Amino acid sequence: MALRRPSVEGPDFSNFIRQTNETVQRLEANSWDFDKVPEVFAKDAAADVFAKEIVHVHDGKTMTRYGRLVMGGVGTQFNLMGPIPPNAALRVSHRGVLEEINRQLKSKGLNDLPEFRKLGKIEEIEFFNYEIFYTLRDLVFWLVLHDAGSFPSSLEVMVRHMAAGNVVQSNRYAPSKPSKDRRKPALMSATGLMVQFPSPVIEWMDKPIFGGLAKDTIHVETLLTLKATDVSHPYLPLQKEGKLRFNDKKYYYRRFVGITPKDGLRGPNIAPEKPANHF
Amino acid sequence: MQAVSESIRFDLYVRGEIPFSLSGSLVTTASRRDKDRTAFSRWHDSQADLIRLDLIPGKPGQIRARIMSVDPQWGTPKRVVHQPFYATQPNHGLNIHGDTLWATNLLFGAPLEVDIPQWKPTRILRPMEPDATSPQVSSTSHFAWSLDHRYAFYHQSLLTQEDSTVRAKALALVRIDTRTGKERLWTLLAPAEDSDLRGANFHSAFYFEEGGRKYVGLLRTGAILESLAAHPTPAEHPVIPMTASCIWIVEITEDSSELQVSLLPGIRELGYLALSHLDVDASGANGFILYANFKQADVSEETHGSNIYGEPPADVSEHYSGMTVEAINFGMVLRYEKRESKNSIRVFKRAYDPGLTSRGHSWLPINIQLDYRRKRLFCSFSGFRPRLLPRHIARAYPEMAVDPLKIRYVPPLLMRFDADTLLPQYDKDRTYLSYTEPMAFCIAGNDLHEYVCTFSTETGLRIYRADDLSRVICHAVSPLLMNWKDTHFRPDPAHMVFAQSS
Repeated sequence: MALRRPSVEGPDFSNFIRQTNETVQRLEANSWDFDKVPEVFAKDAAADVFAKEIVHVHDGKTMTRYGRLVMGGVGTQFNLMGPIPPNAALRVSHRGVLEEINRQLKSKGLNDLPEFRKLGKIEEIEFFNYEIFYTLRDLVFWLVLHDAGSFPSSLEVMVRHMAAGNVVQSNRYAPSKPSKDRRKPALMSATGLMVQFPSPVIEWMDKPIFGGLAKDTIHVETLLTLKATDVSHPYLPLQKEGKLRFNDKKYYYRRFVGITPKDGLRGPNIAPEKPANHF
Repeated sequence: MQAVSESIRFDLYVRGEIPFSLSGSLVTTASRRDKDRTAFSRWHDSQADLIRLDLIPGKPGQIRARIMSVDPQWGTPKRVVHQPFYATQPNHGLNIHGDTLWATNLLFGAPLEVDIPQWKPTRILRPMEPDATSPQVSSTSHFAWSLDHRYAFYHQSLLTQEDSTVRAKALALVRIDTRTGKERLWTLLAPAEDSDLRGANFHSAFYFEEGGRKYVGLLRTGAILESLAAHPTPAEHPVIPMTASCIWIVEITEDSSELQVSLLPGIRELGYLALSHLDVDASGANGFILYANFKQADVSEETHGSNIYGEPPADVSEHYSGMTVEAINFGMVLRYEKRESKNSIRVFKRAYDPGLTSRGHSWLPINIQLDYRRKRLFCSFSGFRPRLLPRHIARAYPEMAVDPLKIRYVPPLLMRFDADTLLPQYDKDRTYLSYTEPMAFCIAGNDLHEYVCTFSTETGLRIYRADDLSRVICHAVSPLLMNWKDTHFRPDPAHMVFAQSS
């Protein structure tokens, strides 16, 4: 989401906190229906994941993902949210993992794909202000405080993840040169985000929700396992498979490459959900 | 007839707790779709993967999956489809009695009988024999059951290609005796006021008794097919609009080989397109209360061609050829009570209002089930994906189809209703609804400890207490559910059933 109020500073801070708290209380009292609290509706959708390059490592007990995410946005600051298991570790790791895997596969990762190369110039950035939300109230409070707002159908995705015992993590990011033009969003690449959690099975990531800019996501995803596996990506075709070395161990790899749609897509030039709008 | 199959088994990763009343198996029918989204095949025709999940209660308990791929080479390069008509591709309905499953297609082919403990097909139920002029059959997806559950009833007929449409002929009602496995057939005589057999296909059936007489109700879908085989090219084409669905009522008489059909009054007048799935309370042998989904969707068509925005499939990455058709507008849930003295109808129909998500919606109802005490009704609604509604289908229904400029994405929904009033069981904590839920669900457990299980290959299995859909008590996943080899993925199944351990 684009954060329309990224900074909350000085004496106004306590006022914003109080107002936001009241807004969230009204929303909760209204069964989380936005109709009586229309200010919670996001004003526009202007941030998306355009591409992702992920290395998934599964050793039989633990799932570890190393990622390079390429985002686009219109505005000055954004946040990237996603559900993770509550026992997950999330941190920024060294960037070399993707490079090392690509070196062994004689690949340039996302840059192998013409669809990705067409995106143009991408700025390297870093995530900051990692946050975890344990309740819907916490999450909505944060989104309202920063004037990001939310769309009801997108919020329901997070509601369902929380119902299943996941937490929602959020990372902020910002371009050095913000864009005001939806046709030319600022493109940003963050490498090194790592998430790790215990799981005896391979778990893939959910499809991103449409953020108003990129209907599709470009993927390069590589699965590393200690034993040979026939696990396949839910949607992406298999590009190649074989063996490689990673962290001084022999791994089997399977690389999946392609394009997947976002969730929650709407027609071209159709505005997102807004108040007094039913269909 | 026999079916070819192959099977695999593996464990799911379970988070949470499997309650003790869920000792048993969940069974679902998945279909299979090519990851290459330009590869065309109709949604009816996709290969079937039957999934059995054996639940062993505990915290976390254990879930073992077994997947049976039916006729796995049909439609693959190994068996090029010179003969486009298969005997069975049971990728939709599930009918269970004891240790036996009868799995069915949405429309085409014959039910496949499966021995659940052995997890092997035993026979294909095709009493109607296709021939050169009628090369395919249509069967009811969801059977009717006698009150003592000894007999199952379904419709089967032959399908014939005419100049511009497909027509049913030799309509039969089939009864299976679950004790002996024997079948009996009756010829059905269509009612005079609904004698056009182009739309004589029946997705679901129900059984009831009244005044000491026995009846079967058949939900006439009314799907009008242009072509018995898949279109040679997935291009836009003229669509013959469906007529409004209706319900055929057949009195069962043992001493006659022909049964005259009458129409249940008041259904056709509702003016919706396609009756599909149902549940029924026929206890007491004095009529029935029928709960049925009424879709605003041309279920005889499939997703291909340009969408309502004029975008070609190549530009719509969520498109995969032959996927489940999108609705043209929101549908309804129907409650029809028939007693000797009177009939009454209640409906729930609602647009999606993003500002009032607590009210739910009725976009493309899929699944419907009463709880054990028949006091609560659970329904799943598929929602709407605007970019997947083909332009040529919307054009066939100019008065009904949604305005492309006003419509947006509508999220899927599972909702609990009061079975008597057909109103959602509203509460402040939203325990009565769950958005972004898979379509396949079933009520499981017993009347004291009742649970709702939802399933998709991608999301996995979620278990809720039936009175609280806001809190998952068990979530189980495996990547092996999602794909068939590297070439195909398994989209969300529509239905699931629970078979209690005996």
